Amino acid sequence: MAGKIKQMIDTIISQRAKDNAMLAGIIKTKLMLKGIDPNKFTPQSADDLAIISKLEALMKEL
Amino acid sequence: MNIKTAYSMKTDLHEVVADIKAQLDDFDIKLIVFFASSAFHPAEIAERMEAAFPAVETFGCSTAGEIVTGKMLTKSVVAMAFNSQAIKNCKVDVLEDLNKESFRAFNAFERHFGKTMKEMDPKQYVGIMLVDGLSGKEEMIMDRMGDLTNVIFIGGSAGDDLKFASTYVYANGKSYANAAVLAILEPGVEFSFVKTQSFCELPQKLVVTKANEFKREVLEFNNKPAAVAYAEAVGTSVADAPNHFMHHPVGLVFEGEPFVRSPQQIKGDKMLFYCSVKEGMELSLLESTDIIASTKKALEDARKEPGGISGIVNFNCILRTLELGQKKLAEDYGKLFEAEPTVGFSTYGEQFIGHANQTAAMLILR
Repeated sequence: MAGKIKQMIDTIISQRAKDNAMLAGIIKTKLMLKGIDPNKFTPQSADDLAIISKLEALMKEL
Repeated sequence: MNIKTAYSMKTDLHEVVADIKAQLDDFDIKLIVFFASSAFHPAEIAERMEAAFPAVETFGCSTAGEIVTGKMLTKSVVAMAFNSQAIKNCKVDVLEDLNKESFRAFNAFERHFGKTMKEMDPKQYVGIMLVDGLSGKEEMIMDRMGDLTNVIFIGGSAGDDLKFASTYVYANGKSYANAAVLAILEPGVEFSFVKTQSFCELPQKLVVTKANEFKREVLEFNNKPAAVAYAEAVGTSVADAPNHFMHHPVGLVFEGEPFVRSPQQIKGDKMLFYCSVKEGMELSLLESTDIIASTKKALEDARKEPGGISGIVNFNCILRTLELGQKKLAEDYGKLFEAEPTVGFSTYGEQFIGHANQTAAMLILR
């Protein structure tokens, strides 16, 4: 299902940052350092299992 | 004054510690951070600093050079003391044996502060990390800590004056190798960060198409042998490419902010870096600019923020220190920090959100 990565990224940012813009920036930077550029994914982006796996691990910490 | 610095250039360790103790004698200390030249025996410096300040949390590490208010030094010990108005609460713990991924230290922090790491407000708490600079584990630690907490960790990789033999972190009166000291501080003042790296981004892109991230090796950029692709990007030969490493590292650039990855050496067609690089990352070629001018600007911007600056802890990459030394600008760099109490050291790597190279990462206390 396309767009899953974008959806997961948005969930992680909203749950970790809770409307705090500075924190949202930090979380995006952390994703970038994991090799996941949060600005590159759209609702139409194809699913990448390796990236989804990394995001699933992160979501477990929420 | 809530923060005070001290330093000693004496060569006898007993005299060094006595000298520092005398400089901090009339100060009501809550916490001491110290950085010591690798000329001093690690177990002894750790033990003697703890013994000299028994009622106080002390932690630190070995260095590739030291920084104290207004000065860049070598073969010294520098220290920053915080009173209880600067630091309301703190807890120091050690991640021993970085080959085992265990964050038992976080349990200690949670017990001490009475809340989970997830609950800790990053505006109220700040983390400092000092890590064995030869461990190669900085990325793993920062990544895992970043998953577990929103508290921002800043820090540096311990050095050993460019011997690359053994580096140490200090806490609890002991020295540790293959370890990291983690400290969570609850400052009584506001705090912020400066991350400055004196580079501009060039248009050349190097996409990591094959890498061994645990060895910090890139095998291919842009589907070509890494060394060939890097040399092409710089506009030189593979043989000449190492001469460009210091002034043309690469960077993971996100929203205009580069996380520098410095090349270390070419091995056949592979390139070894001082920082891990992941497959799929798009890196930009960087070009060095003026360290003094860019650091001066970063500090001026920090000084303009409300509250002023009461103290700076500066984790400054050894590669920056070497470049400053080559250009005879070390004294000028030290003088950038003469206005406020400052302590720091020349590091084998810098940590702020992630691990980086050729960067000065600074904790600013207001």
